[in-house]
Amino acid sequence: MKGFYFILISVFLAQNLSAQDKYLTKEGFISFFSHSIVEDIKADNNQVLSVLDIQTGKIAIQLLMRSFMFKKTLMREHFNENYVESYKYPKATFSGEIKNFDELNEEQTETEIIGILTVHGEEKEISTKVIVNISESEIVLTGDFKVNVADFNIKIPAIVANNIAKTIKVSFELHHKPYK
Amino acid sequence: MKGKKFKIILGFLLVAIVSLLISIYYYNKPDVNVVKTNAAFVLTAKNLIEEYSADETSTNKKYTEKVIQVNGMVHEITTLKGNSIITIGNADQESSIICHMLSNQSQKALQLVKGQKISVKGVCTGYLLDVIMVRCILVE
Repeated sequence: MKGFYFILISVFLAQNLSAQDKYLTKEGFISFFSHSIVEDIKADNNQVLSVLDIQTGKIAIQLLMRSFMFKKTLMREHFNENYVESYKYPKATFSGEIKNFDELNEEQTETEIIGILTVHGEEKEISTKVIVNISESEIVLTGDFKVNVADFNIKIPAIVANNIAKTIKVSFELHHKPYK
Repeated sequence: MKGKKFKIILGFLLVAIVSLLISIYYYNKPDVNVVKTNAAFVLTAKNLIEEYSADETSTNKKYTEKVIQVNGMVHEITTLKGNSIITIGNADQESSIICHMLSNQSQKALQLVKGQKISVKGVCTGYLLDVIMVRCILVE
């Protein structure tokens, strides 16, 4: 958590020196999907904050757990109150780096993103493929990766264990705009 | 004797049916109706931002998951996946209130102009660089 704030603060401090190097979105999209025999659970978050430094490829992402929208209210309530304990851990964060960012162009859009994902107060290193589309008006990052529920110390009661997958697929689509 | 057994079975059945109905109701429980729910707090955008920047943890406890009404000035109106997003705030304040509107609010939202005074009612989900509100409606 501290590491994240350090990056976020340093990203913002550095911005005064060279604002044109910072790209930002406050409307990023991150969703997760759990498939089980009993039911499929999907939740979307359209309020993701992400700050990208195009000089270094460093990226800081933050989201509110309560901003995840489910098909059913009960799912959202269980998710926030029992599983991820949003009253204690209201945010999830990711701070990391896009590898070889300066070598990306129109043909070469695929690279790797590595960083620390913090959910439910637990840190976990994530490294995954990312597609980077750079245009004049925006930089779009898309991709997906899988996480184990158990890695984040999230306890699922035995009675609903069959309703929730052990491995959750996380997808992201972040449209960064130049920060003015 | 026979009648007693029958009554017990009937009793059990009744309990089973009632609990099934209750669980179906809970399983399909609708989201809080923002239109019909009275706001738990009515406050200005400026005050809300000040409270959040002063003490995020306790302000979160106070407002998140609650229907609140925020009064302030339109700073920006954008669209995302067919729904409007109204940003309430002043140019001199670094944070603002980002309101994700319900889909039936788009038409009203698009008629707003920058600087116009508005009231928005919605569910507060917390604070990143800005206060985030979802399922918002415009209040006349």
